[in-house]
Amino acid sequence: MRFASLAAIFALVALGAGAQASGAAAQSGGAAPLALDGDASARPWRRYHEWPQRDATKFNTLATLASPPAPTAPRKLAGPLAGDPAIGAKLAADRTRGGSCLACHVMGPAGGADLPGNLGPDLSEIGNANLSDETLFNFIYDARVYVPDTLMPPWGTHGIFNDEEIGHIVAFLKTLKAPAPFKSELDDPSRRPPPVEKRDNLDSMLNPAMWAVEDKAPALWTSPGPAGAACATCHREPAQAFKTWAATMPRWEPRLGKILGVEEFVTRHAKATTGHAWPMESEANTALAVYLRFLANRSAINVDTESAPAKAAYARGEALSRRKVGQLNFACVDCHGAHRGAGKWIRGQWLAQMRGTLDHFPTWRTSLQAIWDVRKRFQWCQVAIWANELPPDAKEYGDLELYLAAQSNGLKLNVPGIRH
Amino acid sequence: MAEKPRIKVPKEAKKGEVIEIKTLLAHPMESGLRKDEAGALVPRKIINRFTCEFNGALAFACDLEPAIAANPYFQFTVKLEQSGTFRFTWIDDDGSAITADETITVT
Repeated sequence: MRFASLAAIFALVALGAGAQASGAAAQSGGAAPLALDGDASARPWRRYHEWPQRDATKFNTLATLASPPAPTAPRKLAGPLAGDPAIGAKLAADRTRGGSCLACHVMGPAGGADLPGNLGPDLSEIGNANLSDETLFNFIYDARVYVPDTLMPPWGTHGIFNDEEIGHIVAFLKTLKAPAPFKSELDDPSRRPPPVEKRDNLDSMLNPAMWAVEDKAPALWTSPGPAGAACATCHREPAQAFKTWAATMPRWEPRLGKILGVEEFVTRHAKATTGHAWPMESEANTALAVYLRFLANRSAINVDTESAPAKAAYARGEALSRRKVGQLNFACVDCHGAHRGAGKWIRGQWLAQMRGTLDHFPTWRTSLQAIWDVRKRFQWCQVAIWANELPPDAKEYGDLELYLAAQSNGLKLNVPGIRH
Repeated sequence: MAEKPRIKVPKEAKKGEVIEIKTLLAHPMESGLRKDEAGALVPRKIINRFTCEFNGALAFACDLEPAIAANPYFQFTVKLEQSGTFRFTWIDDDGSAITADETITVT
């Protein structure tokens, strides 16, 4: 007996569909019925209880601007700082403070921490640079006074470290005078190999998200809602009818005045037709989103960015990808933009580039034993950078999803994915 | 039981052939060592035994321990001399059993 997974068998999925012609309503070519009233997810939106509950209302979100302004000049210090390098070493490795300095900087064996990241420069020999206390202090307090487009969180301005703590970190930095020793290739972010996903994501023995395709979605498809109809009433041959549809989503929806993704479409279309209540991020909604995107597998992603409203939404999405949000003050592009963080490491986490992120969503998360759609992934990205997330049907997420999907135009859908 | 077991058994085999069987059951395999938000231990609830019988005779069995991850997956081989029915059984800590049958034709 072996517990290890092995060369997977491609399971050809029997889709629970008859061979009759599709229903007239689905063939008419008109706009699909959508319930235009109400929200597609809970209001007020409540964060998942198992996620960190830190409130970040004082800082930017993708919908609101609230962060304090960047200082215009470095702060003047009255005199040399009297920090304790030992306390500074601990603070530099403190994971409760935004992931610690080591999240982005190689700094030698500070705090006994391993797996440093390389989003920022190697600071192992910063102590030899003869930088003044005031310069080091201001770099940590708010590096924007020296480097306006820096990736570094404004630790002081955003209240993550106080002046005294920054003084300790300055004292620690001045002790760094020798190249960092690495215990192994894995410890060195410049030599650490990027993760490669090799599992067969369409094998239901390996990817539990395939159970949505094989069991859950076909059952939902034929279950009548309060209005008496089921999905199958109009869509009798989904495998044929939806070969490419999901690859064109998200798209501009004039009736709602926003970008509509597969998940919100399912909520609003079901409400208008079968009467099912399938809010976004519910188990049923996610199962159907997996199924509909699975049916378009091997179709090239082809979202519209040419029509005037789509072009405007794309531009808004691009602008949002550059907006600094949260207490840690990161923009999407800081971590995932070419020539910024893409391909680098935050501690042991590799930062993916934007192209190729949307082709496998919704995806199974092995670390969480759950399927996440892309809106939930957006929400988690924000909570992880100490920002308040938006409800999954927020129009800002629609713009961002369109922008992100367009980065993957031409890539073939491969859903459900499987990732850590 | 929310999920049905997933089983892969060939439909046909030659006499004397060694066939491969794969099974996977969705189960949390709660180890009994984790704590909930209030700090209380989450009670152990695992599949503690799996058996595979062929025409009533035991073909494969194993005991499972709390260290085994969620959704236990088994892969094993069986040599067949005659047609018949496999019966797969998963025994839960709560005393319940999940069973599933698969038939195979041996020529």
